[in-house]
Amino acid sequence: MKILLLFILIFQISYVKADEIYNLIKIPNLEIYKLKNDNNIRYLNAKGNFNIGVNKNITCNKTNKKNLNTKFQIIEKNLNRYNSNFLNKIKLKYVVFCENLFISEINTGGIPDNKNRTLILDINFNQKYFERMIHHEVFHMIQNSHIKYFNEEEFSSFNQTSFNYADCSTCSDRLNLDLYENTSGFLTEYSKSIPSEDMAEIFSFLMTDKEIIEKKINNDKVLYNKVNFIKLNLAKIDKNIL
Amino acid sequence: MIKKIKASKSEKILFLFLISISIFTLISFFLLKNKCLFVEKNNLSKLKFNKPNNIAVMNVECGNVIIELYPDISPKSVERFKILIEKKMYDGSAFYKVAENTFVQAGDIEYGNINNLDYSKIGSGESGLGLLKSELSDDFVFTKGSVGFARASEFDTEDSEFFITLKEIPIYQGEYTPIGKVIHGLDILTKIKTGNKAIYVLRPDYINTFKMLNSN
Repeated sequence: MKILLLFILIFQISYVKADEIYNLIKIPNLEIYKLKNDNNIRYLNAKGNFNIGVNKNITCNKTNKKNLNTKFQIIEKNLNRYNSNFLNKIKLKYVVFCENLFISEINTGGIPDNKNRTLILDINFNQKYFERMIHHEVFHMIQNSHIKYFNEEEFSSFNQTSFNYADCSTCSDRLNLDLYENTSGFLTEYSKSIPSEDMAEIFSFLMTDKEIIEKKINNDKVLYNKVNFIKLNLAKIDKNIL
Repeated sequence: MIKKIKASKSEKILFLFLISISIFTLISFFLLKNKCLFVEKNNLSKLKFNKPNNIAVMNVECGNVIIELYPDISPKSVERFKILIEKKMYDGSAFYKVAENTFVQAGDIEYGNINNLDYSKIGSGESGLGLLKSELSDDFVFTKGSVGFARASEFDTEDSEFFITLKEIPIYQGEYTPIGKVIHGLDILTKIKTGNKAIYVLRPDYINTFKMLNSN
């Protein structure tokens, strides 16, 4: 049995590229993009493709430097809205840039990893939603680090009793990210997938289009309650984020 | 009757050349096998230290690595490090995690000792002294030769494992508890066996002894 374990270990470790960044956040083929920032976020870049996660189900490709330099301006501008104290509380320190991020063969804009204080961002994500996607993914880090404040059952109770979310975000075909003209409790089709995505959609709109959302909730009681829920609980972490 | 044939001059030269090549190959084989051959040895009796109470001497295959500890930066961690050294708990500890020209890591007391090396559990062992709180410093730069306490993914999980950087690693600043710096013998650490592109090492090198300079 021990020989078998040893054999498996040798086989496994032979795939691991040994470097100091891998040692820290368990993602191979990264390099430092920008280390010193006012809010202490450290930006890392994929210099090569990587596969990580259970059964290597997360894949992403190396970046094109020119593309990254352009997108970085947008990313930095948006992430600079979070101060270092808040980022510490939500366990976000490393932002990894790569292109064409997939999880279990489903394209995604970002993957939060609170354990390693890392957010992976796909810099090729649809430009129309790019800035909002950044805040959407940040919300997942907020929720993961403050589960008690963002209780999904409590949040779901604001919906009409006849409404049911899907079982998971990837097993639903409710994927459209455009803002509804007529909200009826939900900002986008994707909001209807699962409670955490609904919350993340609200948060991301509050960060990017706050005035529009403030107007929408005047005529939508369900949405009003949901937005207030997010604001109230977020203020328990940091009063100045929204 | 067999006719005796005299070797020509060029044949003699060729013969001598082949003999010298063979001798050279034989000597090289034994010399090159000795990875410590060109490593400078540190003679402790000839070295002087400003703070001898904070000097630790780690003896490995190629010689002595001399480390100055920094209790002013991380008092609790240095105290723990000294206890582990004085109890000889690091003696026989494997350099099981080595990234070539980047860092070497040792100090798993439970599963990483020459007398009890468990490849399936190495890196998860405990010293029995309990976990420490991280003592991070935003001012300490992990330059070449920096010694830091290793930890799990979370902070405040330091115990006994430590690493030594073989190059400057700016990303470690504020991430790991600094313990000290190698002041002599850094080249000795570059001779530690690596995992050949893998981060874990099979049949690793070991710490022979680890002592405080002023201990008896």
